[in-house]
Amino acid sequence: MAIRSKLSGTAALEDVEGVGSQAFLASIVECSDDAIYGKTLDGTILSWNRGAERIYGYSAGEMVGKPVSVLVPANKPDEVPAILERVKRGERVSHFETTRVRKDGEVIDLSLNVSPIRDASGQIIGASTTARDVTEQKKMREALTERAKEILDVSTPVLQVWEGVVVAPFIGTLDTQRAQQFMERLLDKIVQTNSAVALLDVTGVPAIDTRTAQHLIETITSVRLLGAQAILTGVRPAIAQTLAHLGINLADVVTRSSLAAGLRVALDILNLKIITQEDQAKGAQSL
Amino acid sequence: MTNQNISLVKVRNTLLLTMPADPDDVTVTTLQEEVLGAMEKYRPKGLVLDISGVETLDSFFARTITETSRMVTMMGGQTVIAGMRPSVAITATQLGLTMGGTFTALTVDRALDLLAHPHPRRRIR
Repeated sequence: MAIRSKLSGTAALEDVEGVGSQAFLASIVECSDDAIYGKTLDGTILSWNRGAERIYGYSAGEMVGKPVSVLVPANKPDEVPAILERVKRGERVSHFETTRVRKDGEVIDLSLNVSPIRDASGQIIGASTTARDVTEQKKMREALTERAKEILDVSTPVLQVWEGVVVAPFIGTLDTQRAQQFMERLLDKIVQTNSAVALLDVTGVPAIDTRTAQHLIETITSVRLLGAQAILTGVRPAIAQTLAHLGINLADVVTRSSLAAGLRVALDILNLKIITQEDQAKGAQSL
Repeated sequence: MTNQNISLVKVRNTLLLTMPADPDDVTVTTLQEEVLGAMEKYRPKGLVLDISGVETLDSFFARTITETSRMVTMMGGQTVIAGMRPSVAITATQLGLTMGGTFTALTVDRALDLLAHPHPRRRIR
C-alpha cells in the first residue's frame, strides 16, 4: 500500500523533496500531547504518535495495522463506520465528544476531530484523527452544572408564614433562568396554599439592574393575574435609589422597606390585627 | 377533542361563567355575547370568570376578557377573573397580556368574597 509506506516508513519520506520541513512536521505530530493517528477508510490504523500511546496506553507497534474498532466501547459499534462514512464524503468531524477504551480497560472521555487525508490527485485515501482526553474537563463541567443546580434549588425557597401569606426571600442576583424558576415556585406555592398575599423580599439582593427589576415586575404581574397581591419588601435606600434612577415605575406595587412592615400590610389585607396581651387585658377591663 | 361549551350560571346576584380548557375563537366570541345578554336580562352585581380549566391563553382571548370586563363595568357590574393557572399567568405576563386592571382572585370563592366586599385592595398603597 502506497499510503502506508509514505506515512510510516521513514525511507519513503527521505525520497521526497524538502526533507527538512517534512521531518519538522513529523516531529510536531510526534511531540503533540493530543493523540494523532491516521487510518485507512476501512478503519485500519496506519500511524500512531506518542500522544496516542499516552492517552490509549497502546504502543505504536501494537496498534499500527490493527482496526480502530479495538478502541471503541462495545455499546457503540456503529460510531466508527458512521464517522468514516462522513469522511469518505469529504466531510470533517469536529469536536465530537465520545468515549473510548484504554488498553487497561478504563473508559475515557475524548473529543475527536477527524478529517480526510487526500493524495496528490485530491482523492480521499484515509482519515486523520486528533483525540484529546477530556475526562477531567467533563468531570469538572458536570460538577459545575451540579453545583449550579444546587444553588438554584437552595436559593429560591417560598415559605408560608401565615394562613394566606407566603414569603419569597430573594438572595443573590436574578438572572433570567433563576427569575423564571423563582416565579414558577412562587406561583405554585400561592395556588397550593391558597394565599392571597405574597411578600417578595429583596433584602438579600446586592444590587438591582434594569433586567432584575423587569423580572420582579413580571413576577408581581403574574401574581396579580393569579388573583393574589404581591408586596415588595426589603427595599433598602440603595435599592430605592437605583429603582428611581432607572425610571422603573412601581406605582401599582405596594413596597415596604422591611419584611416586618410588609407582613403588617399583608395582615391588614387579610383583615387581621395583632393584639398584644396587654391590649387584650385592657379590652376585657373596659367591657 | 375538548368540550367547547361554556357554562353561564346566575347565582343570586352574580353571574358565574366557566371556560373550557382550550377555548377557540368562536367560543371566546360567544362568551362576550352571552355575558352581555345575561347582564341585560338579570342585572347582576358582578361577573366571575372561572378560567381554572383554561390551559392556553392567547391574545384574542385576553383582549376579549379585558373588553368584556369593561363592557360589564359600563352596564353596572364588576368582573373578577378567578383561578388562573400559574403556567397561564407566566405566559400571559411574558406576552404582555396583563388584563388591564381587571380584578383577579385565586378561586371562585375568593372572587365571590371580593364582590361582596369590593375594593379591599385599594386601601393600601
